[in-house]
Amino acid sequence: MAKTIEVTVWATGVVQDKEGRDVCLVLTEAANQEGKFTQAFDNYVDLPDRINVQVRKYARISDAEIENKFEYENHRPNIIGVTEATIMKGINVCKGLQEGGFLVINTTKDPEALLKYVPEKERKKLKAVATIDAIGIAPEQLIDYSGAEGAEDVSAIGAGLGSVMAGAIAAVSGIVKKESILAAAANRTAAKRGYDEVKIKVLK
Amino acid sequence: MAERTGTVKFLTGLGAVATALKMADIDVASSYPIRPYTGAMMMLSQMAARGELDLEFVHGEGEHGQLGIAHGASAAGARAFTGSSGVGVTYAMETYSPISGGRCPVQMLIGNRTLDPPGDFGSEHTDALSTRDQGWLMGWAHTPQEAFDNTLMFYRIGEDARVSLPQMNCQDGYFITHIPAKVVIPSQEEVNKFLPPLNFPDALDPLNPLGHGPQLFPGQGHVLEADRVNAMMGAFPVIDEVVNAFNAQFGTDYAPFVEQYRCEDAEYVLFINGGHAYTAKFAVNHMREKGMKIGLVRPRWIRPWATDVVADILSKFKAVGVVETNNAFGAARQAGILTLEVATSLYQCDKKPVLTAFMGGLGGEVIRLDEFYYMGDVLKKVAAEGKADRTAYWIGFHNV
Repeated sequence: MAKTIEVTVWATGVVQDKEGRDVCLVLTEAANQEGKFTQAFDNYVDLPDRINVQVRKYARISDAEIENKFEYENHRPNIIGVTEATIMKGINVCKGLQEGGFLVINTTKDPEALLKYVPEKERKKLKAVATIDAIGIAPEQLIDYSGAEGAEDVSAIGAGLGSVMAGAIAAVSGIVKKESILAAAANRTAAKRGYDEVKIKVLK
Repeated sequence: MAERTGTVKFLTGLGAVATALKMADIDVASSYPIRPYTGAMMMLSQMAARGELDLEFVHGEGEHGQLGIAHGASAAGARAFTGSSGVGVTYAMETYSPISGGRCPVQMLIGNRTLDPPGDFGSEHTDALSTRDQGWLMGWAHTPQEAFDNTLMFYRIGEDARVSLPQMNCQDGYFITHIPAKVVIPSQEEVNKFLPPLNFPDALDPLNPLGHGPQLFPGQGHVLEADRVNAMMGAFPVIDEVVNAFNAQFGTDYAPFVEQYRCEDAEYVLFINGGHAYTAKFAVNHMREKGMKIGLVRPRWIRPWATDVVADILSKFKAVGVVETNNAFGAARQAGILTLEVATSLYQCDKKPVLTAFMGGLGGEVIRLDEFYYMGDVLKKVAAEGKADRTAYWIGFHNV
């Protein structure tokens, strides 16, 4: 079985439901353009209609067909995105992280400031931690439920924060090329700024 | 054969069905929310609100009323659609026979979900299969693309004057309903060519009064029941015809009744319905790489059940393992519902394979590759020994 890169994005219910999903959708659309096999999907048991309660959005990117497509969660994530930094205070977002993994957080703080919320076990596996002021770059957060529950999104993919985070994740991890991200994101400027302005702390 | 052409989109099974329904220009949709099928209704309501689809969207007060709305709409000659999941499907139980008895070609999407208990959001087929003897055509998709295609094929088959029966268009909850995959969407012209507008011959009409569903006397029952059996059995040639017409027009290669995957020289096979066949095909490939002579057989229809086709295919093998993603408490052989159908089909054969079942995916659990490998090992063993120790091996018990 070919290696599948797993991306898990932690977002807040309702407020970031759409933008959180868009992080994954922009990444997988970029990967699609590079001929990869992908899937982007919401966690099935999170309850996304509870305001500000954390929800998980997933992406899988592979060079071959994804054989574990039906697994409900990313149990072995390689990349973690956090669109609301306070989530890290209560939850080990990096649980199950694979060796050489990446953590990208939406915050105005420096990467070092958030590392203390990652338990030692997972911290040792991180290749780099990065931060990006995604809200500062794209302040408007679209609340749109059209794409929830397996329905098709009506609004554009990556109009705001989602594109910034996807750009930042691409820059830190290199899973997709910059030009693919820019082509996939509805908000090209936001994606570009995410890619260019992300602050990276390499740990190993 | 034509090349498959069209717009490529990433859609879930729900997105695929909703897209197909729009292209099928349905007239009435009746809804009531329950996970996981709800997303299809969300999309339809939005299409109606945006004016993209001239649709009467009616919200029921529960699934029983919801099916009643679809029944009435269909009886009035509308192309009607409804859907449900899990306990929603069983809540509407009373309504299924009147709809098929009225020969109303309603289409119902079922996004499979467990009944209570366990009542979680995962997929078991017990919800839909509980309704299997109510006179509806019933079949599963194992990819979003197949869900799109089935939506069009089912309407054409069900609306054919030789059949005139409602259809259950089933797909596994979450696995198919919620995970997107590539779907090729043909042009509207192509869909129009394949699926003509509904022409329901005995539609309710105030200017031409007629009765639907009258109270009968006992002596009239056998005639009506025989009529509905004839409609169901009459679906066989129509299914064959319509699936072949679909293949010819859209460049697909669907088996009309039963798909065979890597069965050429197979000695033992998994008989598997629905979404888990997606993972099972990878498992079969990997087991083949290790020299195992295993294949996969997948029914596209549960009703009508293609007895002779299933018998012809399965009697060739040394062993057959029915993967049951449903439960049949206290049934013959104490496995699942499909075992009853498969065993009955094989009864007519002189040469019978060793038959067993695998209880997997219950509670909506994912069936992993290693669990399919376990099934392969069991089948190899029972094929060699000419008998099985059990009528059902439980995944999560016997393999650990």
